[in-house]
Amino acid sequence: MNTPTRCVALLVSMGLLGLFIAAPARGADPSDATLLQRGQYLATVGDCVACHTAPSGKPYAGGLKVPTPIGDIIATNITPSARAGIGRYTEQQFSDALRKGIRADGKHLYPAMPYTSYAQVTDADVHALYAYFMHGVAPVDSMPTPTRLPFPFNIRLSMAAWNLLFLDSKPFTPDPAKSAAWNRGAYLVRGLAHCSTCHTPRNLLMAEESSHELAGGAVGTWLAPNITSDANSGIGNWSEQDLVDYLKLGHALGKAQAAGPMAEAVDHSLQYLGSSDLRAIATYLKTLPAQHEPADTHAIDRWGAAFDGMADQRGTPLPDDANRWSGAQLYDAHCATCHQASGEGSFDGGLPPLFHNTATGRADADNLVLVILDGIRWTDASGVHMPAFADSLNDQQIATLASYLTQHYGNPAATVSAEQVRVLRAGGAPSHLVALARWAMVVVVLLILAIVILLIRRKQRRTSSGRP
Amino acid sequence: MSVQLSADIVVIGSGIVGALAARRLAQQGASVLILEAGPRLERARVLAAFRNSPIKGNWMAPYPPSRWAPHPIYVPKDNGYLKQAGPYPYPAEYIRAVGGTTWHWAAMAWRLVPNDVRIKSLYGVGVDWPLSYDELDPWYQEAEKLLGVAGADNTGSPRKQPFPMEPVAEPWSMRRFRERLAPAYPVVANTVARNSRGYDGRPACVGNNSCQPICPVNAQYLGINAVEAAEAAGAKVVPDAVVYRIEHEAKGRIAAVHYYSPDRAEHRVTGKTFILAANGIESPKLLLLSASDTYPTGLANSSGMVGRNLMDHPSTSLTFYADEELWLGRGPQSPSSINTLRDGPFRSQHAPYRLDFTNISQVLSVTSDLIKEGVYGAEFEKQLRWRAARQVSVKNVLEVLPNRDNRITLSSEKDAMGIPKPEAHYAIDDYTRRGAEVSKADFTRIAELMGGTGLRFSADGQYANNQHITGTMSMGNDPTTSVVDAFGRTHDHENLFICSTGVMPTAATMNSTLTAVALALRTAEHILPAKDAHATASHRGREGNLA
Repeated sequence: MNTPTRCVALLVSMGLLGLFIAAPARGADPSDATLLQRGQYLATVGDCVACHTAPSGKPYAGGLKVPTPIGDIIATNITPSARAGIGRYTEQQFSDALRKGIRADGKHLYPAMPYTSYAQVTDADVHALYAYFMHGVAPVDSMPTPTRLPFPFNIRLSMAAWNLLFLDSKPFTPDPAKSAAWNRGAYLVRGLAHCSTCHTPRNLLMAEESSHELAGGAVGTWLAPNITSDANSGIGNWSEQDLVDYLKLGHALGKAQAAGPMAEAVDHSLQYLGSSDLRAIATYLKTLPAQHEPADTHAIDRWGAAFDGMADQRGTPLPDDANRWSGAQLYDAHCATCHQASGEGSFDGGLPPLFHNTATGRADADNLVLVILDGIRWTDASGVHMPAFADSLNDQQIATLASYLTQHYGNPAATVSAEQVRVLRAGGAPSHLVALARWAMVVVVLLILAIVILLIRRKQRRTSSGRP
Repeated sequence: MSVQLSADIVVIGSGIVGALAARRLAQQGASVLILEAGPRLERARVLAAFRNSPIKGNWMAPYPPSRWAPHPIYVPKDNGYLKQAGPYPYPAEYIRAVGGTTWHWAAMAWRLVPNDVRIKSLYGVGVDWPLSYDELDPWYQEAEKLLGVAGADNTGSPRKQPFPMEPVAEPWSMRRFRERLAPAYPVVANTVARNSRGYDGRPACVGNNSCQPICPVNAQYLGINAVEAAEAAGAKVVPDAVVYRIEHEAKGRIAAVHYYSPDRAEHRVTGKTFILAANGIESPKLLLLSASDTYPTGLANSSGMVGRNLMDHPSTSLTFYADEELWLGRGPQSPSSINTLRDGPFRSQHAPYRLDFTNISQVLSVTSDLIKEGVYGAEFEKQLRWRAARQVSVKNVLEVLPNRDNRITLSSEKDAMGIPKPEAHYAIDDYTRRGAEVSKADFTRIAELMGGTGLRFSADGQYANNQHITGTMSMGNDPTTSVVDAFGRTHDHENLFICSTGVMPTAATMNSTLTAVALALRTAEHILPAKDAHATASHRGREGNLA
């Protein structure tokens, strides 16, 4: 067996172990292999590695820059190194960091660490995770550069107020009216798998809008789609098997492929989940209250049809000016080889069709542009699932191509401009959150001043009027 | 004269061999400049040219020569660039462009078999190489890792470490050959630089069957990938720089090279070390062109061997109809071959060979046959379907022995820049002809085992050429009979090295690219040792750390 296959086998068997979440907590004995394996599985579900490992860095040694609207947050070393990692953490301190966002030194974590989701994790699972991070992870003694955010976000205490508003620190409590699978799915989705971190929209203060659970959010420049049970806007017309396939393989035939951050989630985490856990997640997702977008008159994965635009440009010389290539010319040169002349993909769906595909079916084509720019690349042995075209196509070419794709294979309402591509290529529109926060502080200070002045004046008036 | 360029290392030629030497040297911190005579191509335009071309079977069609750096073209007619002095034609094809001829190769990345480097000692023919197979092994390994090579283990070429990946899935046609020819002939996967999975940022093969003239998805490693890797390592590429003279100092060291830009303006480039990597025809041409009073027969030519010992791989073939539907054309063009005839005591008598099966779609050739035969209407469609499903062919890849009379010289004719064209003097000797004769029995047996009918042998005495240009700047220990030493350094000029298939002293029975790349990496190591010597060759790390 080669290494990746062995890993899968190991993780699948761990997946079965992971079912026993209610197993009594045992001491964090390094020789307790079952506990360590369960901890490792839970760490995989939590996808801790995604943020806490730098590209080609050592596992869990931190250093990855997580871009946020308020600046880069640098993931910390969570190996059991006493000097550079969390080696000195007690289980209580570990639990507080994981579920309350409070470090051992009492300082607050930024919610880039999804502790609002991890707050749902049970004591038993925290115990297994602690055992794994203390005894199953190799210590690394190097410390990444600390996060430095601009004022006012560099005041970590501000997070205390934020937590007061937005942190629900009660662990998951099962709903006895629902099935065991539903409860397991709810526990994973809301908890360790932290789906809402990306898929739930956030308010002005970057907190998840709990009334719109999984109705679609943003992660960097990517749109994290609505995954509620709405038939048009969400995954209402997906079968449980479609969902399981998608989470396991990174694609659901005739529906969608994972790209961008979702491809990372499948690559690092979801593909290793046990099949009963994946099925539980699917069971839960199918019951989420539908959140409908009125603009979605069609199911996102039902747009378009086969179309062959090749004949129209065959025999036409390519313009010397790259900006004047037609959509069909660009499609012929860059897409048709895999997705075929009519966009139908390969006979077995291994190379996906471009119609009946969420990639082309959204009214907002940002994700389509991003997947053309970045391609899809996994870190496991499968490597490149789709090549990146950022280097071979300019902004105008990508705009022309993406518009050709939505026009013929997807939602024709979605058109793409070169400016849109330029902004996405540059990493998205700049966030105004820092400026906003500073302005907000000025406004608050002015408001307080105004109130103080008002009070003083009133008091003065009162005193003066009190005089005979 | 315009701005003068200068670098630690000046590489002439941007093909896969020169570019990978350049990459390795740039990684060690040297400043590296690559001069390429031809233009920089864009894959999308090459692909569009191929898809829009009415002559699909001609692999040079999407690569029209530039005015300033012409290359040979034979279809629809000979452009007269490579002059033929006879007696046998040598219609070599190559591409002068950034990335070189591997733009349209089949990605064959074979190793030699160990005895290939000792045929003089073992069989009394040809010459021995100045190095052993074992010395080549780590360099093969490094080359295979860079190119992303996959293959079978039983091809006669031993290896110390596994291939970087599994071969691409076996096409149905090749599976049937393998099953039906066993045990008489073991049919195995070819050793190729083609991705069976994502590797080094390039995707897996999706079976478009157009490896030649262009892999449309970058699944097979091309010279342009090597150039991009060299650039990523810090090397600079100057396209459209037609080098026409290498300039030496009084004591023989090379001082500079001179090139024309397309407007025929002259430029001089100085450097500390020079690498000539302009293929087995253009490189000797340039050495001969650079003759001076001190070196009246050309540079690096005190032995008189520059341009001599020209070798390639002639092929004869058999085409027939199998008794079952095989539908060639699915998967890569050249997936499988028979390797058991590459070595043996018979080598003292006749040429060894590899037997190679084509997997190129037969629709085009069957169509043109049927048109020639005057078949039309319903019968045409019926015949087309029947023949395209069953027509197959097998060819040999024959060794040619070094012969000083087979050579590249300067023609009296000049190209548009006023540079003499190369001229080929070529003959196919009895050793090779005997090999071809012997292989006919294999062809017949293979057809028998496949239930073959309609057997069509290629015409007697007619050999197809394989564009594996070797021998013209052979390596050897004796400066009176060879051009470069075992490390590719010219015997006559201490700072002039050659990286090319042209340094191979014999041609053996396999496509020459991987051996030339391995030798070039070894040359680069000799020029500037890697700080982590052989870390790259021995380390099977994650992909992505390659470039």
